[in-house]
Amino acid sequence: MRAANYNPKLRLQLMIILLLLALISNIFGSYFTRFFIAEITILSIFAMSLDFIASRGGMISLGHAMFLGIGAYASAILTINYGISPFSSTLYTFLVGAIIGIIIGYFIVLLDGIFFIMVTLALGEMFNAWVFTSDYLGGSDGISGILRPNFLILGIDMNNPLIFSFYTILWLLGIYFILTKITDSPLGRNLDAIRQNKDRISAIGGYTKAYKTIAFALSAGVASIAGSLYVQLNGFISPELTHWTVSGEGLIMIIVGGIGSISGAILGATVVHIIQHELSNIINWWMLVIGFGFIFIVLFMKDGLWGLLEQIQKRLR
Amino acid sequence: MSLSLNNINKTFGSVKVLNNVSINSIKKECLGIIGPNGAGKSTLFKVISGNLKQDTGDIFFNDSNINNLNIEKRARLGISQSFQKNSLFSEMTVKESLMLALSHKYKITFNILHSLLDNKTINIDAKTIAKDTGLLDYLDIKSDNLAYGLQRQLELGIAIACNPKLLLLDEPTAGMSPAETKGIIILIKNLSIKYSIIIVEHDMDVIYELADRIYVLDRGSLIFEGDAKSVKESKLVQKIYLGI
Repeated sequence: MRAANYNPKLRLQLMIILLLLALISNIFGSYFTRFFIAEITILSIFAMSLDFIASRGGMISLGHAMFLGIGAYASAILTINYGISPFSSTLYTFLVGAIIGIIIGYFIVLLDGIFFIMVTLALGEMFNAWVFTSDYLGGSDGISGILRPNFLILGIDMNNPLIFSFYTILWLLGIYFILTKITDSPLGRNLDAIRQNKDRISAIGGYTKAYKTIAFALSAGVASIAGSLYVQLNGFISPELTHWTVSGEGLIMIIVGGIGSISGAILGATVVHIIQHELSNIINWWMLVIGFGFIFIVLFMKDGLWGLLEQIQKRLR
Repeated sequence: MSLSLNNINKTFGSVKVLNNVSINSIKKECLGIIGPNGAGKSTLFKVISGNLKQDTGDIFFNDSNINNLNIEKRARLGISQSFQKNSLFSEMTVKESLMLALSHKYKITFNILHSLLDNKTINIDAKTIAKDTGLLDYLDIKSDNLAYGLQRQLELGIAIACNPKLLLLDEPTAGMSPAETKGIIILIKNLSIKYSIIIVEHDMDVIYELADRIYVLDRGSLIFEGDAKSVKESKLVQKIYLGI
């Protein structure tokens, strides 16, 4: 499976630009803009989780919305039923997602290509079916009344959209930092090598299954964090969040951004979400436009927008 | 280093591909395995490396039975291989490929705290291996962009970066020009000073130049064992190769 060129310098440059744009939009934007930024940030975290396993291990997951849902529902249950602080619940959801990721990953990470995709799809749909029918999880009505973290003791009001948006950006930065560190590390490079040639990694004594299981678990944990933040942003969770089409949208974001660049996942999430939002306000057939745009990128821009930026960078040198 | 194959048998369907093959190597040497097409050389190679499991028979490596160890576990014991068809990391440069392989030698593959490419020790080691394999001028070139002969050299480089006790080379000169073949022979001769090597080869001249001892396979059975001179002079070997 193809991934974008490994280019840590461009990765950082792109991240800085996106961060500055987010900060400026946040500070000078309206209430809605700040809410929108928070949405994009959370989607970016989800996109990074998908990007990480796609490029580190060559795993395409059509079931990752399940972990989004696990994070969201776990966060809701922990705060409402057990009185755990929302901030702590986000940390716990990482653990819950990662542990479930280890269990699932142990059995499926060595599956190849289409088999891995279909198993993740099946698992995601099983979870979706369960949450739709579970009384404990609110069934088709979902769960509402989920609060945001309370830092009033520090004079920080998380119900202020500006503050909450900055809060999500901090999470994004933390996750970005950790994922880039792992990407550059020996583990990350071996995972990248598995995507390129897993037989060779085995032949040099690599622990292929262990590496891929760790990557899957980490990705599951990150997706769960996105779910937790999502539910705190919106105050409620509905089972639609766990539908496989949400995973599909995530994959579209990372393909548009450029698989394997991490910053590209954030760029892809930003561009796709903005276009979706703006087009849906103008025309009814906006999904057709998105579809054509996606096909264009797949056919002519195999490294997505990241590839375009690389070409610009080369020309500017 | 010691490697012992005792009465190895392997059948595919109704075809007996390996028939009671026994091989021994108890010191550092370069062992050659030759035979005409269909002799079972590749199958034997795969059985030693762990890509294939034999039907019956035992394999001992440094006195441990490795029958039930897969390719990953055998590699960790020190059995490293290069492939007949190039098996490289297409998007990585020469330096990145060697450093990746070295991360296994230094057992840091689970490390997530530091950048691999910033590791000074591994950087130096990678350059040494690149020098030994004639790749010092190509460190920043992607594997896919190397000429075929250089890719074969990188194949060897990755195999030796893992600090092997035994190097398995599957037709290292496959697809190479005479000039490239000469280069690889010199390279392997230098490697044989440091490593125990088993070479499976189709090109008998290559084997005669490199191997201390040669096993000759024909239709799954070992028919001859000896040094290059005795193999060249063997009427039996001449018969199976030349039909005379």
